[in-house]
Amino acid sequence: MAGWQLIRFQFIFPLILLVLFLMDGNLAASLGFLMKEPIHAMPMMTFTWLFYAIQFGVEKKLPYYTYVVLFGILFDVFYTGILGTYTLAFLVGTFAMEKLRPYFDERMMSGLLLLLIGLMIYLFVTYVAGQLIGAANLSLLAFIVYLFMPTALFNLVVAAIFYYPAWGLFQRLG
Amino acid sequence: MRKIFSSRTVVLLMVGFLMVAGLIAGSNWWAKKTNNPPFFQRVVNDLTGGVAKIISIPTNAVGTRANSLANLLNTFSENKALKAKVDGYAQNKVKLQTVEDENRSLKKQLELKKTMTDYDTISAVTISRSPTTWNSQLVIDKGAKSGVKKGMAVMGDSGIIGMVTEVNTVNSKVTLISDTSEDTNRIAITVKGGSGDTNGIVTDYDADKKLLVMSSIANSANINKGDTVVTSGLGGLVPSGLLVGKIADVTTDSYGLSKKIYIEPSSDLSKIATVLVAKKEMDA
Repeated sequence: MAGWQLIRFQFIFPLILLVLFLMDGNLAASLGFLMKEPIHAMPMMTFTWLFYAIQFGVEKKLPYYTYVVLFGILFDVFYTGILGTYTLAFLVGTFAMEKLRPYFDERMMSGLLLLLIGLMIYLFVTYVAGQLIGAANLSLLAFIVYLFMPTALFNLVVAAIFYYPAWGLFQRLG
Repeated sequence: MRKIFSSRTVVLLMVGFLMVAGLIAGSNWWAKKTNNPPFFQRVVNDLTGGVAKIISIPTNAVGTRANSLANLLNTFSENKALKAKVDGYAQNKVKLQTVEDENRSLKKQLELKKTMTDYDTISAVTISRSPTTWNSQLVIDKGAKSGVKKGMAVMGDSGIIGMVTEVNTVNSKVTLISDTSEDTNRIAITVKGGSGDTNGIVTDYDADKKLLVMSSIANSANINKGDTVVTSGLGGLVPSGLLVGKIADVTTDSYGLSKKIYIEPSSDLSKIATVLVAKKEMDA
Protein backbone atom coordinates (compact mmCIF):
# COMPACT_ATOMS: atom_id res chain seq x y z
CA MET A 1 0.00 0.00 0.00
CA ALA A 2 1.28 3.39 -0.90
CA GLY A 3 2.09 5.73 1.97
CA TRP A 4 -0.52 8.33 1.16
CA GLN A 5 -3.16 5.62 0.88
CA LEU A 6 -2.37 4.37 4.37
CA ILE A 7 -2.61 7.89 5.74
CA ARG A 8 -5.92 8.37 3.98
CA PHE A 9 -7.21 5.10 5.44
CA GLN A 10 -6.02 5.91 8.93
CA PHE A 11 -7.94 9.14 8.69
CA ILE A 12 -11.13 7.73 7.19
CA PHE A 13 -11.48 4.68 9.45
CA PRO A 14 -11.94 6.57 12.75
CA LEU A 15 -14.02 9.23 11.02
CA ILE A 16 -16.55 6.65 9.87
CA LEU A 17 -16.34 5.09 13.33
CA LEU A 18 -17.31 8.44 14.87
CA VAL A 19 -20.22 8.96 12.48
CA LEU A 20 -21.53 5.43 13.11
CA PHE A 21 -21.10 5.92 16.86
CA LEU A 22 -23.41 8.93 16.69
CA MET A 23 -25.75 7.23 14.22
CA ASP A 24 -26.30 4.43 16.76
CA GLY A 25 -27.82 6.83 19.24
CA ASN A 26 -29.64 8.72 16.56
CA LEU A 27 -31.26 5.63 15.07
CA ALA A 28 -32.27 4.43 18.53
CA ALA A 29 -34.06 7.74 18.98
CA SER A 30 -35.62 8.07 15.54
CA LEU A 31 -36.55 4.51 14.55
CA GLY A 32 -39.57 3.92 16.73
CA PHE A 33 -39.88 0.20 16.04
CA LEU A 34 -36.49 -0.58 17.59
CA MET A 35 -37.52 0.19 21.14
CA LYS A 36 -41.24 -0.48 20.95
CA GLU A 37 -42.19 -2.19 24.18
CA PRO A 38 -41.50 -4.95 25.00
CA ILE A 39 -38.81 -5.15 22.32
CA HIS A 40 -35.50 -3.45 22.96
CA ALA A 41 -33.27 -3.66 19.90
CA MET A 42 -30.08 -1.62 19.94
CA PRO A 43 -28.39 -0.44 16.77
CA MET A 44 -24.75 -1.51 17.04
CA MET A 45 -23.19 -0.09 13.91
CA THR A 46 -20.04 1.01 15.72
CA PHE A 47 -19.45 -2.61 16.65
CA THR A 48 -20.33 -3.78 13.14
CA TRP A 49 -17.73 -1.41 11.67
CA LEU A 50 -15.11 -2.78 14.06
CA PHE A 51 -16.16 -6.27 12.94
CA TYR A 52 -15.68 -5.37 9.25
CA ALA A 53 -12.11 -4.32 10.02
CA ILE A 54 -11.38 -7.74 11.49
CA GLN A 55 -13.31 -9.67 8.86
CA PHE A 56 -11.51 -7.95 5.97
CA GLY A 57 -8.13 -8.13 7.70
CA VAL A 58 -7.24 -4.46 8.02
CA GLU A 59 -6.98 -4.28 11.82
CA LYS A 60 -3.21 -4.88 11.69
CA LYS A 61 -2.68 -1.74 9.62
CA LEU A 62 -4.35 0.46 12.21
CA PRO A 63 -3.89 1.33 15.87
CA TYR A 64 -7.00 -0.85 16.14
CA TYR A 65 -7.27 -1.44 19.89
CA THR A 66 -6.54 2.22 20.60
CA TYR A 67 -9.64 3.07 18.58
CA VAL A 68 -11.61 0.33 20.35
CA VAL A 69 -10.72 1.66 23.79
CA LEU A 70 -11.18 5.33 22.80
CA PHE A 71 -14.62 4.73 21.36
CA GLY A 72 -15.51 2.46 24.29
CA ILE A 73 -14.75 5.30 26.69
CA LEU A 74 -16.61 7.79 24.51
CA PHE A 75 -19.59 5.41 24.45
CA ASP A 76 -19.58 5.16 28.23
CA VAL A 77 -19.28 8.89 28.78
CA PHE A 78 -21.79 10.02 26.18
CA TYR A 79 -24.46 7.35 26.40
CA THR A 80 -24.45 6.12 29.98
CA GLY A 81 -22.34 8.35 32.22
CA ILE A 82 -21.09 5.20 33.95
CA LEU A 83 -17.52 4.34 33.02
CA GLY A 84 -16.19 0.90 32.19
CA THR A 85 -19.04 -1.25 30.92
CA TYR A 86 -18.92 -0.55 27.22
CA THR A 87 -15.17 -0.05 27.08
CA LEU A 88 -14.86 -3.60 28.36
CA ALA A 89 -17.68 -4.91 26.15
CA PHE A 90 -16.11 -3.43 22.99
CA LEU A 91 -12.68 -4.70 23.97
CA VAL A 92 -13.74 -8.24 24.83
CA GLY A 93 -16.08 -8.48 21.83
CA THR A 94 -13.51 -7.37 19.27
CA PHE A 95 -10.70 -9.38 20.89
CA ALA A 96 -12.80 -12.55 20.71
CA MET A 97 -13.67 -11.88 17.06
CA GLU A 98 -10.00 -11.34 16.19
CA LYS A 99 -8.95 -14.60 17.90
CA LEU A 100 -11.74 -16.56 16.20
CA ARG A 101 -11.24 -15.00 12.76
CA PRO A 102 -8.78 -17.72 11.51
CA TYR A 103 -11.57 -20.32 11.84
CA PHE A 104 -13.86 -18.38 9.51
CA ASP A 105 -13.53 -17.32 5.89
CA GLU A 106 -14.58 -14.33 3.83
CA ARG A 107 -17.98 -15.56 2.72
CA MET A 108 -20.83 -13.45 4.02
CA MET A 109 -22.60 -16.15 6.05
CA SER A 110 -19.35 -17.12 7.70
CA GLY A 111 -18.67 -13.46 8.52
CA LEU A 112 -22.14 -12.91 9.92
CA LEU A 113 -21.72 -15.92 12.20
CA LEU A 114 -18.49 -14.38 13.53
CA LEU A 115 -20.35 -11.10 14.12
CA LEU A 116 -23.12 -12.99 15.92
CA ILE A 117 -20.58 -14.52 18.29
CA GLY A 118 -19.06 -11.07 18.88
CA LEU A 119 -22.50 -9.59 19.55
CA MET A 120 -23.28 -12.37 22.02
CA ILE A 121 -20.09 -11.73 23.97
CA TYR A 122 -20.67 -7.96 23.90
CA LEU A 123 -24.22 -8.29 25.23
CA PHE A 124 -23.20 -10.86 27.82
CA VAL A 125 -20.60 -8.43 29.24
CA THR A 126 -23.21 -5.67 29.48
CA TYR A 127 -25.62 -8.10 31.16
CA VAL A 128 -23.07 -9.02 33.81
CA ALA A 129 -22.09 -5.37 34.33
CA GLY A 130 -25.77 -4.51 34.72
CA GLN A 131 -26.10 -7.16 37.43
CA LEU A 132 -23.09 -5.66 39.17
CA ILE A 133 -24.64 -2.20 39.62
CA GLY A 134 -28.18 -3.49 40.09
CA ALA A 135 -29.43 -2.08 36.81
CA ALA A 136 -30.55 -5.43 35.45
CA ASN A 137 -33.81 -6.66 36.86
CA LEU A 138 -34.80 -8.42 33.66
CA SER A 139 -34.86 -12.20 33.77
CA LEU A 140 -32.38 -14.02 31.55
CA LEU A 141 -35.16 -15.47 29.40
CA ALA A 142 -36.73 -12.05 28.81
CA PHE A 143 -33.25 -10.71 28.08
CA ILE A 144 -32.73 -13.31 25.37
CA VAL A 145 -36.20 -13.04 23.83
CA TYR A 146 -36.79 -9.28 23.96
CA LEU A 147 -33.27 -7.88 23.85
CA PHE A 148 -30.73 -10.26 22.41
CA MET A 149 -32.79 -11.70 19.54
CA PRO A 150 -34.17 -8.43 18.10
CA THR A 151 -30.76 -6.77 18.51
CA ALA A 152 -28.98 -9.61 16.72
CA LEU A 153 -31.60 -9.69 13.97
CA PHE A 154 -31.46 -5.96 13.29
CA ASN A 155 -27.68 -5.76 13.30
CA LEU A 156 -27.15 -8.89 11.21
CA VAL A 157 -29.52 -7.51 8.57
CA VAL A 158 -27.68 -4.17 8.55
CA ALA A 159 -24.30 -5.94 8.46
CA ALA A 160 -25.48 -8.13 5.55
CA ILE A 161 -26.68 -5.12 3.53
CA PHE A 162 -23.40 -3.26 3.94
CA TYR A 163 -21.15 -6.35 3.79
CA TYR A 164 -20.06 -6.08 0.15
CA PRO A 165 -19.95 -2.26 0.01
CA ALA A 166 -17.73 -2.30 3.12
CA TRP A 167 -15.54 -5.01 1.60
CA GLY A 168 -15.14 -2.93 -1.54
CA LEU A 169 -14.28 0.15 0.47
CA PHE A 170 -11.67 -1.66 2.55
CA GLN A 171 -10.09 -3.14 -0.57
CA ARG A 172 -9.91 0.24 -2.23
CA LEU A 173 -8.53 2.00 0.82
CA GLY A 174 -6.64 -0.78 2.62
CA MET B 1 -0.48 -29.97 27.23
CA ARG B 2 -0.06 -26.41 26.08
CA LYS B 3 -1.11 -23.89 28.69
CA ILE B 4 -3.71 -21.47 27.40
CA PHE B 5 -2.93 -18.75 29.93
CA SER B 6 0.37 -18.23 31.68
CA SER B 7 0.14 -17.38 35.37
CA ARG B 8 1.17 -13.82 34.57
CA THR B 9 -1.75 -13.42 32.20
CA VAL B 10 -4.11 -14.80 34.84
CA VAL B 11 -2.90 -12.27 37.40
CA LEU B 12 -3.17 -9.45 34.86
CA LEU B 13 -6.66 -10.54 33.89
CA MET B 14 -7.77 -10.66 37.51
CA VAL B 15 -6.33 -7.23 38.29
CA GLY B 16 -7.91 -5.87 35.12
CA PHE B 17 -11.28 -7.38 36.01
CA LEU B 18 -11.18 -5.91 39.51
CA MET B 19 -10.22 -2.50 38.15
CA VAL B 20 -13.05 -2.46 35.63
CA ALA B 21 -15.57 -3.68 38.22
CA GLY B 22 -14.38 -0.95 40.59
CA LEU B 23 -14.60 1.68 37.87
CA ILE B 24 -18.16 0.69 36.93
CA ALA B 25 -19.39 0.58 40.52
CA GLY B 26 -17.46 3.73 41.47
CA SER B 27 -18.63 5.88 38.59
CA ASN B 28 -22.21 4.67 39.07
CA TRP B 29 -22.05 5.73 42.71
CA TRP B 30 -20.44 9.05 41.82
CA ALA B 31 -23.01 9.81 39.09
CA LYS B 32 -25.83 9.41 41.61
CA LYS B 33 -24.14 11.45 44.29
CA THR B 34 -23.04 14.49 42.36
CA ASN B 35 -25.07 17.15 40.62
CA ASN B 36 -22.48 17.85 37.97
CA PRO B 37 -20.48 15.27 36.06
CA PRO B 38 -16.67 15.57 36.28
CA PHE B 39 -15.09 18.23 34.07
CA PHE B 40 -13.66 15.69 31.61
CA GLN B 41 -17.06 14.04 31.09
CA ARG B 42 -18.75 17.39 30.73
CA VAL B 43 -16.37 18.58 28.01
CA VAL B 44 -16.58 15.28 26.11
CA ASN B 45 -20.38 15.33 26.37
CA ASP B 46 -20.69 18.92 25.18
CA LEU B 47 -18.40 18.34 22.20
CA THR B 48 -19.95 15.01 21.20
CA GLY B 49 -23.42 16.44 21.69
CA GLY B 50 -22.61 19.22 19.25
CA VAL B 51 -21.59 16.80 16.51
CA ALA B 52 -24.51 14.50 17.34
CA LYS B 53 -26.90 17.42 16.86
CA ILE B 54 -25.62 17.98 13.33
CA ILE B 55 -25.95 14.27 12.51
CA SER B 56 -29.48 14.16 13.91
CA ILE B 57 -30.76 16.87 11.55
CA PRO B 58 -31.15 14.69 8.42
CA THR B 59 -32.36 11.56 10.25
CA ASN B 60 -34.89 13.55 12.26
CA ALA B 61 -36.17 15.12 9.05
CA VAL B 62 -36.55 11.70 7.41
CA GLY B 63 -38.18 10.32 10.56
CA THR B 64 -40.69 13.16 10.65
CA ARG B 65 -41.64 12.64 7.00
CA ALA B 66 -42.04 8.88 7.49
CA ASN B 67 -44.16 9.53 10.54
CA SER B 68 -46.45 11.96 8.78
CA LEU B 69 -46.89 9.45 5.97
CA ALA B 70 -47.80 6.71 8.43
CA ASN B 71 -50.20 9.11 10.17
CA LEU B 72 -51.85 9.98 6.87
CA LEU B 73 -52.78 6.35 6.33
CA ASN B 74 -54.93 6.06 9.43
CA THR B 75 -56.24 9.61 9.36
CA PHE B 76 -59.74 8.66 8.27
CA SER B 77 -60.63 6.33 11.11
CA GLU B 78 -58.82 8.52 13.60
CA ASN B 79 -60.70 11.59 12.43
CA LYS B 80 -64.03 9.90 12.96
CA ALA B 81 -63.15 8.86 16.49
CA LEU B 82 -61.65 12.22 17.38
CA LYS B 83 -64.63 14.23 16.12
CA ALA B 84 -66.79 12.46 18.64
CA LYS B 85 -64.42 13.44 21.41
CA VAL B 86 -63.92 17.09 20.45
CA ASP B 87 -67.35 18.29 21.58
CA GLY B 88 -66.65 17.03 25.06
CA TYR B 89 -63.28 18.79 25.14
CA ALA B 90 -64.76 22.16 24.17
CA GLN B 91 -67.01 21.96 27.20
CA ASN B 92 -64.06 20.95 29.40
CA LYS B 93 -61.92 23.79 28.08
CA VAL B 94 -64.46 26.41 29.05
CA LYS B 95 -64.76 24.81 32.45
CA LEU B 96 -60.99 24.76 32.85
CA GLN B 97 -60.69 28.43 31.93
CA THR B 98 -63.36 29.39 34.46
CA VAL B 99 -61.76 27.30 37.19
CA GLU B 100 -58.30 28.67 36.38
CA ASP B 101 -59.57 32.25 36.66
CA GLU B 102 -61.27 31.44 39.90
CA ASN B 103 -58.12 29.74 41.18
CA ARG B 104 -56.02 32.77 40.31
CA SER B 105 -58.30 35.20 42.09
CA LEU B 106 -58.53 32.95 45.15
CA LYS B 107 -54.74 32.63 45.26
CA LYS B 108 -54.54 36.40 45.11
CA GLN B 109 -56.96 36.76 47.99
CA LEU B 110 -54.94 34.28 50.04
CA GLU B 111 -51.72 36.04 48.99
CA LEU B 112 -50.29 32.77 47.73
CA LYS B 113 -47.53 33.45 45.25
CA LYS B 114 -46.46 30.16 43.77
CA THR B 115 -47.83 26.72 44.44
CA MET B 116 -46.71 23.29 43.47
CA THR B 117 -48.80 23.21 40.32
CA ASP B 118 -47.01 26.22 38.81
CA TYR B 119 -44.28 25.35 36.41
CA ASP B 120 -42.52 26.70 33.35
CA THR B 121 -41.40 24.47 30.55
CA ILE B 122 -38.18 24.34 28.58
CA SER B 123 -38.69 22.66 25.23
CA ALA B 124 -35.87 20.51 23.90
CA VAL B 125 -35.14 18.20 20.98
CA THR B 126 -33.90 14.65 21.42
CA ILE B 127 -30.44 14.36 19.90
CA SER B 128 -29.76 10.77 20.78
CA ARG B 129 -30.95 7.76 22.69
CA SER B 130 -28.60 5.34 24.44
CA PRO B 131 -28.18 2.26 22.27
CA THR B 132 -27.41 0.36 25.45
CA THR B 133 -28.67 -2.69 27.26
CA TRP B 134 -29.89 -1.17 30.51
CA ASN B 135 -29.77 2.57 30.72
CA SER B 136 -32.81 3.94 28.93
CA GLN B 137 -31.49 7.43 28.47
CA LEU B 138 -32.05 10.29 26.07
CA VAL B 139 -29.65 13.07 25.28
CA ILE B 140 -31.54 16.36 24.84
CA ASP B 141 -30.20 19.62 23.41
CA LYS B 142 -30.70 21.85 26.47
CA GLY B 143 -28.36 21.98 29.44
CA ALA B 144 -27.29 24.07 32.39
CA LYS B 145 -27.17 27.15 30.16
CA SER B 146 -30.94 26.93 29.59
CA GLY B 147 -31.67 26.36 33.26
CA VAL B 148 -32.00 22.58 33.30
CA LYS B 149 -31.23 21.03 36.69
CA LYS B 150 -30.68 17.47 37.82
CA GLY B 151 -33.91 15.92 39.11
CA MET B 152 -36.33 17.93 36.94
CA ALA B 153 -39.26 16.10 35.40
CA VAL B 154 -39.38 15.61 31.64
CA MET B 155 -42.63 15.30 29.70
CA GLY B 156 -43.38 13.74 26.33
CA ASP B 157 -46.57 13.95 24.27
CA SER B 158 -48.80 12.80 27.08
CA GLY B 159 -47.35 12.97 30.52
CA ILE B 160 -44.10 12.35 32.31
CA ILE B 161 -41.45 10.26 30.55
CA GLY B 162 -38.46 10.60 32.84
CA MET B 163 -36.15 12.70 34.95
CA VAL B 164 -33.01 14.72 34.19
CA THR B 165 -30.07 12.75 35.59
CA GLU B 166 -27.01 14.47 34.17
CA VAL B 167 -26.60 18.10 33.19
CA ASN B 168 -23.83 19.32 30.90
CA THR B 169 -23.41 22.87 29.65
CA VAL B 170 -25.39 22.59 26.43
CA ASN B 171 -27.05 19.18 26.68
CA SER B 172 -28.34 16.85 29.33
CA LYS B 173 -29.31 13.25 29.89
CA VAL B 174 -32.82 12.14 30.68
CA THR B 175 -33.36 8.77 32.30
CA LEU B 176 -36.67 7.33 31.17
CA ILE B 177 -39.16 5.90 33.64
CA SER B 178 -38.60 2.54 31.95
CA ASP B 179 -35.02 2.45 33.18
CA THR B 180 -34.40 -0.64 35.24
CA SER B 181 -31.72 0.82 37.52
CA GLU B 182 -32.48 0.62 41.19
CA ASP B 183 -33.49 4.15 42.08
CA THR B 184 -33.83 6.23 38.96
CA ASN B 185 -37.61 6.37 38.76
CA ARG B 186 -38.59 7.25 42.30
CA ILE B 187 -41.24 9.81 41.47
CA ALA B 188 -43.65 11.05 44.14
CA ILE B 189 -47.13 10.24 42.84
CA THR B 190 -50.80 10.49 43.74
CA VAL B 191 -53.50 8.05 42.75
CA LYS B 192 -56.68 9.95 41.98
CA GLY B 193 -59.18 7.41 43.25
CA GLY B 194 -62.96 7.65 43.32
CA SER B 195 -62.96 8.32 47.04
CA GLY B 196 -59.92 10.42 47.81
CA ASP B 197 -56.26 10.50 46.86
CA THR B 198 -53.50 8.09 47.83
CA ASN B 199 -49.92 9.35 47.94
CA GLY B 200 -46.79 7.32 47.42
CA ILE B 201 -43.73 6.88 45.27
CA VAL B 202 -42.92 4.76 42.29
CA THR B 203 -40.81 1.98 43.75
CA ASP B 204 -39.77 0.01 40.72
CA TYR B 205 -40.18 -0.67 37.03
CA ASP B 206 -41.20 -4.19 36.15
CA ALA B 207 -39.19 -4.83 33.01
CA ASP B 208 -40.94 -8.12 32.27
CA LYS B 209 -44.44 -6.62 32.44
CA LYS B 210 -43.39 -3.16 31.21
CA LEU B 211 -45.28 -1.46 34.03
CA LEU B 212 -44.35 0.93 36.84
CA VAL B 213 -44.77 -0.44 40.35
CA MET B 214 -45.95 1.30 43.52
CA SER B 215 -45.88 -0.89 46.59
CA SER B 216 -46.58 -0.70 50.34
CA ILE B 217 -49.99 0.92 50.08
CA ALA B 218 -52.36 0.50 53.01
CA ASN B 219 -55.00 -2.17 52.40
CA SER B 220 -57.71 0.31 53.33
CA ALA B 221 -56.84 2.59 50.41
CA ASN B 222 -59.59 2.56 47.84
CA ILE B 223 -57.73 2.04 44.59
CA ASN B 224 -59.21 0.59 41.44
CA LYS B 225 -58.03 -0.49 38.04
CA GLY B 226 -58.20 2.40 35.60
CA ASP B 227 -57.62 5.17 38.18
CA THR B 228 -55.44 8.04 37.01
CA VAL B 229 -51.99 8.52 38.48
CA VAL B 230 -50.35 11.97 38.56
CA THR B 231 -47.22 13.41 40.16
CA SER B 232 -47.82 14.71 43.67
CA GLY B 233 -45.10 17.35 43.73
CA LEU B 234 -44.03 16.33 47.22
CA GLY B 235 -40.28 16.61 47.41
CA GLY B 236 -37.74 17.15 44.67
CA LEU B 237 -38.03 19.34 41.62
CA VAL B 238 -41.12 17.67 40.14
CA PRO B 239 -44.23 19.87 40.05
CA SER B 240 -47.57 18.35 40.94
CA GLY B 241 -50.24 17.38 38.46
CA LEU B 242 -48.19 15.84 35.64
CA LEU B 243 -49.87 12.76 34.19
CA VAL B 244 -48.00 9.53 34.90
CA GLY B 245 -50.46 6.90 33.70
CA LYS B 246 -53.33 4.62 34.57
CA ILE B 247 -53.53 1.74 37.00
CA ALA B 248 -53.26 -1.53 35.11
CA ASP B 249 -53.52 -3.94 38.02
CA VAL B 250 -54.04 -3.95 41.78
CA THR B 251 -52.56 -6.84 43.75
CA THR B 252 -51.64 -7.55 47.34
CA ASP B 253 -48.07 -8.25 48.43
CA SER B 254 -47.03 -11.80 49.25
CA TYR B 255 -48.10 -11.52 52.93
CA GLY B 256 -51.42 -9.87 52.16
CA LEU B 257 -50.54 -6.93 54.39
CA SER B 258 -50.39 -4.17 51.82
CA LYS B 259 -51.39 -3.42 48.28
CA LYS B 260 -49.13 -3.29 45.27
CA ILE B 261 -50.24 -1.55 42.11
CA TYR B 262 -49.01 -1.63 38.54
CA ILE B 263 -49.18 1.56 36.51
CA GLU B 264 -49.23 1.72 32.75
CA PRO B 265 -47.28 4.82 31.63
CA SER B 266 -49.39 7.17 29.50
CA SER B 267 -46.56 8.19 27.19
CA ASP B 268 -45.27 6.16 24.30
CA LEU B 269 -41.60 5.66 25.11
CA SER B 270 -40.62 4.07 21.81
CA LYS B 271 -40.12 7.26 19.86
CA ILE B 272 -39.55 10.59 21.57
CA ALA B 273 -38.64 13.40 19.19
CA THR B 274 -39.24 16.45 21.39
CA VAL B 275 -39.65 16.85 25.12
CA LEU B 276 -40.60 19.50 27.67
CA VAL B 277 -38.54 19.90 30.81
CA ALA B 278 -40.78 21.04 33.67
CA LYS B 279 -39.24 23.76 35.79
CA LYS B 280 -41.00 24.07 39.14
CA GLU B 281 -41.53 27.75 39.91
CA MET B 282 -41.63 27.34 43.67
CA ASP B 283 -37.91 26.63 43.89
CA ALA B 284 -36.91 29.25 41.38
